[in-house]
Amino acid sequence: MMMKIPNLDAGDYHDLVRRFLARLLDKKTVYAVLVAKRYPKGRNAAPVLVRDPEMLEGCAPLAPVQGFNAAHAIVELTREQPGMPRGEPRRIAAVLRPCEVRAVIELIKLKQVQPDNLFLIGFDCPGVFNLKTYRELPDSRAEPLGLAGASADGDPEDLREACRLCTHFTADSADVNLAWMGSDAATSEDGSALLVEVCSDRGSELLKGLDAEDVETPPERDAAVSKKREEREQRFSEDAEDLLTLLEPCVRCYNCREVCPICYCKECLLKPEKMGYTPERHLNRAAKKGQLKMPLDTVLYHLTKMNHMATSCVACGVCEQACPMEIPLGRIYNRVGRHAQALFDYVAGRSREEGLPVTTFREDELADVENVKKEMS
Amino acid sequence: MAEDETFEPKIIAFLCNWCTYAGADLAGTSRLQYPTNIRIIRIMCSGSLDPTYVVKALLEGADGVLIGGCHPGDCHYLSGNFKARRRVAVLKSVLKDAGLDAERVWLRWISASEGGYFAETVREMVEHIRKLGPNPLQLEWAV
Repeated sequence: MMMKIPNLDAGDYHDLVRRFLARLLDKKTVYAVLVAKRYPKGRNAAPVLVRDPEMLEGCAPLAPVQGFNAAHAIVELTREQPGMPRGEPRRIAAVLRPCEVRAVIELIKLKQVQPDNLFLIGFDCPGVFNLKTYRELPDSRAEPLGLAGASADGDPEDLREACRLCTHFTADSADVNLAWMGSDAATSEDGSALLVEVCSDRGSELLKGLDAEDVETPPERDAAVSKKREEREQRFSEDAEDLLTLLEPCVRCYNCREVCPICYCKECLLKPEKMGYTPERHLNRAAKKGQLKMPLDTVLYHLTKMNHMATSCVACGVCEQACPMEIPLGRIYNRVGRHAQALFDYVAGRSREEGLPVTTFREDELADVENVKKEMS
Repeated sequence: MAEDETFEPKIIAFLCNWCTYAGADLAGTSRLQYPTNIRIIRIMCSGSLDPTYVVKALLEGADGVLIGGCHPGDCHYLSGNFKARRRVAVLKSVLKDAGLDAERVWLRWISASEGGYFAETVREMVEHIRKLGPNPLQLEWAV
């Protein structure tokens, strides 16, 4: 359901969002807001927990940069602390990219996020640059992509590869989605109203008291969304790449695990010291193969991570950004996740109701996985 | 790959305690003959097998991995084998995307009373792996 929040009297789009968030705080709908703001002296942006509406100044959720997946922040903010006094529940609204919204939904299912007092505000996301690229961009290109009516244009070549492949760029599974795609459809003629798609009952609750009016979805938006989706779908290639070669430069920094919103284990099975190798076992293994790369288990690490999180991978691409050796992890995980999720007709973060693929099952499925007895040939 | 007469595949089998392991036991106590290419590891349930152990076996040079569980509906823990099937589906999909051979991983339901079927399965799998040839990762030192 599309709605319009009127009378926000703002300059640019970020100003509109700022005034909308300030109203949520003023009306005490929520206690605090989590939203990306630019650093005072730089152009990078990071999620900031804002309590004072005055301090929303400078919020820039659409800045084309994502240091890490903000789902990590949501885990911190909703964590249950056994043994600690609970305190009055205080509600938080979080303005998140679609991949962050989807990661939060996966984390709700993985029991890492406690959603009772959480409102998810998503937005149409044009994509981000990897931090390294972003820092070197000229000022003219550091502004939100697409807002100046350019959303119909193709993605820049140097956009994060995970974003160039992303087809889930509207936050349909959030509580509300700030729907600006399709040029000026985002605002009313005088630029003072914010167009918001309400995606859940909690979404309607959030907008209570803001005089939101029902409106039709502008056709320009639908057109812009399907055009972008098509553009990106065409970039996807089914061709498997030789993973062993792609992983050659891996320096085992485990950054991809640290930044991954889905990898939440407190203690990872793949910590080298957990593997329990003794010098003797190394030598025995070397004897078996004749030679052995040291330290070992780089490929085991990557393949295990894929097995563990492919069905929940939201393809945000922060692993691609965090890789010091520029291994195309965004592309790799996009493909691996897509194929693993397709087996169960699942899309990570699409809905809170769909059970995690590895904790649910159907009795009658996946017959081709079983190696039933064939006639001996 | 041409069939190598001297190639003896090495197969790691993860068998569930309640069905397939007992099936293997029955094959033994019934004195059924089957190839000695298989190394059995007993696990409590096929659903408790983390894919990392299958991957580890393949990377270290096992030519095949057999995962044995109870027939659908017979799981001692009610649904472990159905969940195992989903995990194996993900595993095979990941292996394919990594350019590795998913055909070396077998999942089969064998009950405690099917000693003959177990022996037959081992024969069948050894034959199949023999045709595939040695696991190329055996010589891959950089994994």
